[in-house]
Amino acid sequence: MPLLVFVVIVFGVPMLVLLGGTFTKEGTLSTANLTESLQGAYLTSLLGSVKISALVAVLGGVLGTFLAQAVVTSRFRALREAVLTASGVLANFGGVPLAFAWIATLGNSGVVTTTLGLGQHGWSLYNFWGLTLVYLYFSIPLQVLTVVPALDGLRPQWREAAQNNGASTWQFWRYVGIPVLTPALLGGVVLLFGGAFSAYATAQAMVGSTVPLVTLKIADALTGNVLIGHENVALALSLDMIVVAGLVMAVYLPLQRRSARWLR
Amino acid sequence: MASLTPQVTTQVTPEPASPRGGRPRRPRVWRGVVLVLAAVYFLVPLIASFVFTVKVPDQGLSLDAYGQIFSAEGFGTSLLLSLGLGVATIVLVLLLTLPAAVAVRLGAPRLRPVLEVVCTLPLVVPPITFVAGISTVLRWGPDYLASTPFYQTVIALQNPGFPVVLVLAYVVLALPFAYRSLDAGLGAIDVRTLSEAARNLGASWPHVLLRVIIPNMRSAMAGASFLTLALVLGEFTIARLLSFETFPNWIYRISGSQAQVSVAVSVFSLLITWLLLLALSTAGARQRSGS
Amino acid sequence: MNGARVEFRGLRRRFGSTVALDGLDLTVEPGELIALLGPSGCGKTTALRCLAGFEQPDEGEVLVDGADITRVPANRRDAGMVFQSYSLFPNLDARDNVGFGMRVRKVPAAKRHARAQELLELVGLPSVGDRYPHQLSGGQQQRVALARALALEPRVLLLDEPLSALDAKVRVTLREEIRRLQLSLGITTIFVTHDQEEALSMADRVAVLRDGRLEQVADPATLYDRPATPFVAEFVGAMNHLPGLVSGERVTVLGQTLPVDGPVPGTAQVDVLVRPEAVLVTPEGDGIVMVSSFRGSTARLRVRLGDGTEVLADVPGHESARFAPGTAVRVGLVERPVLVSARSEAGAAAAVPEPDVV
Repeated sequence: MPLLVFVVIVFGVPMLVLLGGTFTKEGTLSTANLTESLQGAYLTSLLGSVKISALVAVLGGVLGTFLAQAVVTSRFRALREAVLTASGVLANFGGVPLAFAWIATLGNSGVVTTTLGLGQHGWSLYNFWGLTLVYLYFSIPLQVLTVVPALDGLRPQWREAAQNNGASTWQFWRYVGIPVLTPALLGGVVLLFGGAFSAYATAQAMVGSTVPLVTLKIADALTGNVLIGHENVALALSLDMIVVAGLVMAVYLPLQRRSARWLR
Repeated sequence: MASLTPQVTTQVTPEPASPRGGRPRRPRVWRGVVLVLAAVYFLVPLIASFVFTVKVPDQGLSLDAYGQIFSAEGFGTSLLLSLGLGVATIVLVLLLTLPAAVAVRLGAPRLRPVLEVVCTLPLVVPPITFVAGISTVLRWGPDYLASTPFYQTVIALQNPGFPVVLVLAYVVLALPFAYRSLDAGLGAIDVRTLSEAARNLGASWPHVLLRVIIPNMRSAMAGASFLTLALVLGEFTIARLLSFETFPNWIYRISGSQAQVSVAVSVFSLLITWLLLLALSTAGARQRSGS
Repeated sequence: MNGARVEFRGLRRRFGSTVALDGLDLTVEPGELIALLGPSGCGKTTALRCLAGFEQPDEGEVLVDGADITRVPANRRDAGMVFQSYSLFPNLDARDNVGFGMRVRKVPAAKRHARAQELLELVGLPSVGDRYPHQLSGGQQQRVALARALALEPRVLLLDEPLSALDAKVRVTLREEIRRLQLSLGITTIFVTHDQEEALSMADRVAVLRDGRLEQVADPATLYDRPATPFVAEFVGAMNHLPGLVSGERVTVLGQTLPVDGPVPGTAQVDVLVRPEAVLVTPEGDGIVMVSSFRGSTARLRVRLGDGTEVLADVPGHESARFAPGTAVRVGLVERPVLVSARSEAGAAAAVPEPDVV
């Protein structure tokens, strides 16, 4: 199949080179790059990325689920359609434009900042929490899109059967609703983690390097902003990222399968 | 979000009295709260961005920023470049994915897991790591290949007028979305029965693909194309790190000097995405009701 | 387990502009299996859901053993329900599904599992306790759902078209099993169905509903032989409407004069209601067999008479070869009292296609 050939060349070659580069230092086989990438400022940036991604994933997961539930149980079809369409757009609304929209809103001279005089209270968008707030802007819609099908798949018979067996609303959610939704919810959370973890454009446009993130470090290193002889650290950092993302994805796929089976 | 909450709490609309015997009141209240909070969180940045672009200090309101978009240096070339890349990527991704998706459904279901994995890989590998690999290849390539015809290829790939390397990279990034969209579309039309019926009526394989499958796949293909286009138009990481000035990179560059214009472009591009998606979903709905 | 007496009194329920229940009155005796039968949209499911507590009637009340339970929340009612399909909790195995109600009531796990196993044995599935719903066939799922409905020893069992999603064969075995269980437990059971065969074969009494009202409630034989209204006559089994002329207590139809059963309408021109099996077919005559559909033990013929009237007739299956389409036949009626109804315009077309569900 031409597709496979294409992927092997365009995707496989850079990955092989990446792998090779990671384990090469000044022409010899070595794990020095990898070790270096897991130390000092590099380690901080990796942990910083994991931290913000985890936070965004959990917050976005919870808030997105609530929003999805509010929309699904609403009787107004128009509201549902509107929210789903908006989610489709906003979930793809990442990158540079997103950063600018927020800078215009809550940045130092942003409309809301100046209107409410937040500047005097020490408000700043350009830190960890500001970035989280912005990441949630595309994460919550993504969670809505992931969870709405699962919520739709919750059959009314289950709720009625539970009631018929004497369960209260809370007991229904505890024993049936939440367990049934769990795979889909976790699947969504994983996606959010991946999205936040690999985000670069928004962070670059917004915070520059004030928040330590691994993507920013890699970009720095790639653009030559690094000591001679340490170019391959960027590749090692990339490998670290792939490993983290791969681990998280490994959680996602089995969950996805189970959810699909339940909600058929 | 802490700074926003004070505005919100007062805006909770009073719920209408629930009819006799209806559900308890509580869930409706929380639903209202959730929806209002969400509306504030999602709408405020959009409105604020717009206000930001039209407000000129000490002069009131003006749409100048939007006018300046079109005259700004680099706007036309970068937008055209991004659109061109988008079209090329769409064509290539459809050419690669559609036959593969059809083949997996019809002829070689055993290859499905392989395809699924291949199409998940780009999701696992963050674009920045992908570009790290690519840039290394491009850096090393010339050294090793200088004496071979491949050298010319590597140079051509990076032609700043139309960087083919970006198309290739974007195809990889778009694969998961395109494949899923197409696969869902194929699932909805039962390709097997359709193609068996067509074969039974004497159609050749290319005929089946062109006349039977593709026409039935129009909305799925439109979906795949839209997702791809949105991805290409918004992609920043790879283009920036390979130093090509695509549309998002242009926005980023001018933001230093013309903050208002850059926000205006952001608002503008969001609007365009929105319109595209609306057009797509209504087209999809029309086709569904028509069939 | 003893059955309770269930009463519906003047139940009314409307959804927007459609009236689902329009003053339903019905009493179900303790230990009885009653089938609610009717076309879709006749309100039978709504009635059941009012009893289960998933719907609130706009008017009227539901009584169980004389106590008004209309306002009791669904999770405090003493009625087990089996749904149409797919109502098992997908995240729990069969045993935990059956034990769900006991878990809610904080019954200790060991006791719960033992009881669930007992119930699974009761419904003939002793070895599926560890399986999840997606690993069970449709018939097995409904058996587990039945066990779950019985787990809390309710005094009323509600079955909402529990067999309609199953294959014909499973359907027949399962309905026999439900009946057997119901008789041995003596539990009052209300069974909603649109399948007349199911209703007639299982129920002590069948209540036919139409547009949210009760048309007739009677034991299956009465319902079949002496339908109270033309609607019931047509809905239950196939029925011929033949033009007839009443004089006194007798009616003349197809050249025969038969006694009239039941009320005689004021007009002389009537429809005579005759079951296909009460039509006799003999070779040679002015009728022509148009269609013959073989059903094993019988064959149903559609015969067109010389005057254009069409008659449905059942003949023994082994005779179907004699009455192939195109054969000339004579049609007569079995000598016994017949039902008549005022001539309906629609009834002019003689043979009504039966609501054949299988």
